[in-house]
Amino acid sequence: MQEGRGVDIILNTGGTAFQGAVIKGGRKFTDDYTKEAAYCDINPEDFEELGKPWFVRVTNEYGDSVILRAKKTDRQQRGEIFIPRGPWANIVVTPVTESTGSPRYKNLVVQIEKEAHGPVLGPKELMEKYYTKRERPNWEANRKWTA
Amino acid sequence: MSSEAQESETSDKITCTDVTCPICGIACDDIEVELDDVSVVTRNACIMGDAKFQELRSSHRITTPLIDGKEAPWSEAIDKAAEILVNAKRPFFFVGSETTTEAMGVAIEIAEMLGGLVDGNATICHGPTVMAIQDVGQSGCTLGETRNRADLDIYWGANPEDSHPRHLSRHSIFQRGFFTEQGRFGRKIVVVDPRRSTTAEHADLHLQLKPGTDFEVLSAIMTILNGFEPHESFTEVTGISREDIHKAAEMVKDARFGVIWVGLGIASTRGKHYNASMAMRLTQLGNKTGKFVILANRGHCNVTGFNHILAWSHGFPYAVDFSTGEPRYQPGEYSCVDALRRGEVDALFCMCADLGAHLPKIAVERMCQIPVVSIETAEGPQAFISDVVLPGVLDAMECEGTFYRMDNVPIYVRSFCDPPFDFTKSNEDTCTQLRDAIIQKLEAREKAEGKETQAKPQTTTPLSDEEFGQRLDKLVTRTV
Repeated sequence: MQEGRGVDIILNTGGTAFQGAVIKGGRKFTDDYTKEAAYCDINPEDFEELGKPWFVRVTNEYGDSVILRAKKTDRQQRGEIFIPRGPWANIVVTPVTESTGSPRYKNLVVQIEKEAHGPVLGPKELMEKYYTKRERPNWEANRKWTA
Repeated sequence: MSSEAQESETSDKITCTDVTCPICGIACDDIEVELDDVSVVTRNACIMGDAKFQELRSSHRITTPLIDGKEAPWSEAIDKAAEILVNAKRPFFFVGSETTTEAMGVAIEIAEMLGGLVDGNATICHGPTVMAIQDVGQSGCTLGETRNRADLDIYWGANPEDSHPRHLSRHSIFQRGFFTEQGRFGRKIVVVDPRRSTTAEHADLHLQLKPGTDFEVLSAIMTILNGFEPHESFTEVTGISREDIHKAAEMVKDARFGVIWVGLGIASTRGKHYNASMAMRLTQLGNKTGKFVILANRGHCNVTGFNHILAWSHGFPYAVDFSTGEPRYQPGEYSCVDALRRGEVDALFCMCADLGAHLPKIAVERMCQIPVVSIETAEGPQAFISDVVLPGVLDAMECEGTFYRMDNVPIYVRSFCDPPFDFTKSNEDTCTQLRDAIIQKLEAREKAEGKETQAKPQTTTPLSDEEFGQRLDKLVTRTV
């Protein structure tokens, strides 16, 4: 990627048991979801290079970006980040399915940069920010017949 | 499969044993639930399972139908949902997996009747693995066999500690089986994952590969098993040392009964179904020196069921289009993400899945532009973007039916309580009521257009199977 913000890094997303417990328990519009899915695992060396951030902004090739809490962990290899499955990760996941139907949830090149102040949006605020512009066709008016 | 559920009822408390868990692909059938008016206590359930059982007494359960976010009567919601779907030119039916195959069957019937597209959770999960099964074929077994026989467990791109928390203790690493009475000490564990996951901590060998090199690593093991040496660039490309890859190949050769558990690590990364095909070819090769099987760690309790029933009813496992009157299969074209991304879908029916949270942004944006009908149990991203929300029933708790476990074994799940509303008994019932409303609307439309029709007067009683079949035949014949 040439243009954009931050440095290139490989994104893997995936489920965690705690994130699973939040969604299975129907707590999808609570702070628990933010706590368990709105973070980004970063390798310690990458973490240092990013300037020990509290928050990071992750941007994909289309320019869509999301702000997440930064977590330092040695579970990650250098040059890779992990975001738990959820609406935050899916802001940057691209819909390229290689003719299989399955989008690029893993091994996706994104860009990461330090974000000074956040904030990390809660699930409802995130949905409202990204998905409320409903340019919906007036299907009531287009109705062809009446029952 | 599960033994008889025993219910002992005291004044206001029910205790149930051998309850099936409606969460992950293992569908554990040994859960105990104590239920009273205010609380739920579970035994044997994992953190995710317990969270789902707590939904029985949660405060955020959706118990009233919603139209545009406002509470509405059930009949009005069903009518609106039917209207949305009947008016669509290219409706999409997304059949989620935390429900029974009976409900899925009705949803597929509706899709066929309206000439829509139908897809299930497999499409964003193990769809590529299913394509690989079509490509190479699967040598599989039941979870009981892995428990009692497996002396080598290879977790490829899988982290069951998080995705299937009881996997290791019930079916693989720690379980003491008939031929594996030593438990952990009688089994070898290999984990292939770019992250040092919690499962990797249990491994005898962790192959921490570079992301997207699964195909190369699988090929390298097969190369060694065939008596050759991998290419000199192997370590540079994959990040795995020669010593480790030889060790992995030795383990495959020495295994008496080996299992490759494939996770989304191979299905969601670059290469997709080619990776899964290669894993199945490695399984074939492993069978030359011992018994080798491959199983997909399916994420939901009945995601396998959708593939099975769509395959036996219409010949294809997922991503099917009925617009020409006959089923056509093409992942990448009729699959959910692709059809939404191209913007050709003009209405969406989503049952028992949270697409709002789990599809890429561009697909969710399309869902915001079109009318969406959902069956949902709790507020969240999917309910947020839905025009009509029909309250969901918790399968395996409030209604019974069939689940296909991740080893393709169908199990009948029982219920132990009733839904907190009386307008529907199960998700199957909801779909049936919707189907009947759609049939009535289609017949009314034909009448309005002045075509020859034999529509019966509108009735509130559900149609019998025979009656439905006759009406469906008539409608399909007219469409063709």
